[in-house]
Amino acid sequence: MLKIVPDFLKAIRPEFHNHKKNAHNDAYYTFTDYRDLWFMGIFILAVTALSPLFMATLTYHQLIETSVDSDLNHRTKQLTETAKSAVTFFMEERLNALTFTVNENGYDQLTDNIRLTEILKNLKLGFGGVTDLSVLDADGNQVAYAGPFNLEGKNYKNQPWFEQSIKKMNFISEVFTGYRGVPHIIVAVRSAKPDGSFFILRATLDTERLMKTLSSYKTGNYADIFLVNREGILQTPSMHYGAIFTPTNLIFPTNSDETEVSTLTFKGMSIISGHSFISRDMVTTPFILMVLKEKAGMLQFWMDMRSKFNWIIGASIIIIVIVITFAATFMVNRLYRADKAKAETMMQMEQSQQLASIGQLAAGVAHEINNPLAVINQTAGYMKDLFSFKDQTQNTDELIEYIDSILDAVDRCGIITRQLLGFVRQFDVKIKKINLEKLISQVLSFHKKEAEYRRINVTVAIPDIFPELETDSSKLQQILVNLVNNAFQAVEEGNSIDIIARPLDTNTIELVIHDTGCGIPEENLKKIHEPFFSTKKDRSGTGLGLSITYGLVKKLGYRISVQSTEGVGTSFTIILPVKIKKGRIA
Amino acid sequence: MKILLVDDEEKFVNMLAKRMALRGIEADVAYTGEEAIKKSESTIYEVAVLDIKMPGISGLQLKKKLSPLHANLKFIFVTGHGAVEKSEDPGAEKDIYLSKPLDIEFLIETLEDLTQAG
Repeated sequence: MLKIVPDFLKAIRPEFHNHKKNAHNDAYYTFTDYRDLWFMGIFILAVTALSPLFMATLTYHQLIETSVDSDLNHRTKQLTETAKSAVTFFMEERLNALTFTVNENGYDQLTDNIRLTEILKNLKLGFGGVTDLSVLDADGNQVAYAGPFNLEGKNYKNQPWFEQSIKKMNFISEVFTGYRGVPHIIVAVRSAKPDGSFFILRATLDTERLMKTLSSYKTGNYADIFLVNREGILQTPSMHYGAIFTPTNLIFPTNSDETEVSTLTFKGMSIISGHSFISRDMVTTPFILMVLKEKAGMLQFWMDMRSKFNWIIGASIIIIVIVITFAATFMVNRLYRADKAKAETMMQMEQSQQLASIGQLAAGVAHEINNPLAVINQTAGYMKDLFSFKDQTQNTDELIEYIDSILDAVDRCGIITRQLLGFVRQFDVKIKKINLEKLISQVLSFHKKEAEYRRINVTVAIPDIFPELETDSSKLQQILVNLVNNAFQAVEEGNSIDIIARPLDTNTIELVIHDTGCGIPEENLKKIHEPFFSTKKDRSGTGLGLSITYGLVKKLGYRISVQSTEGVGTSFTIILPVKIKKGRIA
Repeated sequence: MKILLVDDEEKFVNMLAKRMALRGIEADVAYTGEEAIKKSESTIYEVAVLDIKMPGISGLQLKKKLSPLHANLKFIFVTGHGAVEKSEDPGAEKDIYLSKPLDIEFLIETLEDLTQAG
């Protein structure tokens, strides 16, 4: 079972991953490292395809965040203002009711306990939340009381709310427990007695009603609405800060009527808070309305959407990367196959070009052999004639002379066939020690007659002390044949071909094949080593000669360069190592 | 019939001339193009047998030089190459190409055909 994984990997492993470097035909590959090409392809495609996606996502997130933020602020402010109006209205309503009661009834009726109880009942019916009513004289003595607590006769002179009440026309207290042990708010209204002094009608409001009003504005689980006093002490319970009378750090210095929204951090949570002083010209309260909204909670919808979006983006990225990988693999594989086919074709071409160069030589060789054969033919024919035509004298010396000339001609044929054999034998031999001068003269021997006929001056300059080369002789020979053939094609009558070899240092030598022929136009110079580039398309050229020569030179670890001036001549320079590196055997 | 044999292969051309003589054909010998032109100035030949590949003036070039001088001169080319790049001159198709090694009987037949036809 475990074998399945490597088998699968092997099956999907692209062909080029198995490409092994091979000196034999590497020279004919356009690209050498297909894995690099593959990685590069994937990288470039991925960057191109994914960066817009990343940019868009980032921009999208930023936009959402900004708009959600401003939306949240706006909503918090609205809620704060609405709740503020409600609380203000709540207070004003009760204060007005008391004012109305005081003005309507006067001191005498109000100090009548039965009448006061009646009024309390009506207030409870009309507004609710009123626990008790009491009337205090200017000294703080409770002169009348209606309600559940029996507080008659108490003196409130030293209570802070009493001190403040007598200073103003009306008064709303903070939430406090007072004598009763129940949180309540005091609302007091001052009024004048007929004798010129004043009295105070005081009502106690339970905070229940106020809290209900507040909590009716709570929307969702993440909003918190409560009141604090100017010292930051909770006046109603808060979801975040706890029970009533808990001190908080929510202290705001300015007494502004404006609703303000800010962001604060509470126990590591990011919270949007809105606050507003509940305070008007007519009614002054010690309350500050607070609205807190947990950002994270409010953002939940957006967060959910964002995470969905992120999932989609993530999935897209994975799909894109997979597609890119497949595409890159496919393309590189195609490229590899095409390149491989090209390299293989070039290898075959190299061999057939080798045969072609032999063919080219064969024509020259045939001519070289045909000439002595013609001599043999005519001499032998003449000797036969001497016997056939009866009247001819048969002079022994003359006959011997003819036989010698036949033998001479046979020798000439022998030399040529030996040269040819020696040349052909090189094709089989791999790396061996060779004498460059001998190799050059061997190659030139096939062009000897041609040079004579066309009056081409061929010179070979090799210093006396010259290292013995150790290289692949068949390849070097093919290189020489190709370059010499080229030179012979380029030159015209009277031109010259010079082959110069010299050692550059102990390890390398330089071989220059120079001709004073037609030269190569500059625009063609860069193309001459490309396969199938030929300026003799209409004639015999296959366009492979030089490309194969370049391939062979590369294979042997040689370097080749060409300099040419049109109409002046061409020089091919090969730098070759004295000893071929191991592993370059092909 | 008087013919001119031109070939740089001296032994070949000498032997050929001797054998022609045995067969009643008078043949002069030239080893180079220059020599051939010189000989043609003093003697009138019916046919010139030219080797195509010669150092200096080639057979084809020699024909170009000889034909304006001798309007009636006919040409036979001889070559060691199997295939021959034919001259592109007008009238070149009338030229006859023979390959080496050369059969003398065939050469004589060709010569006779050529002279009788003309």
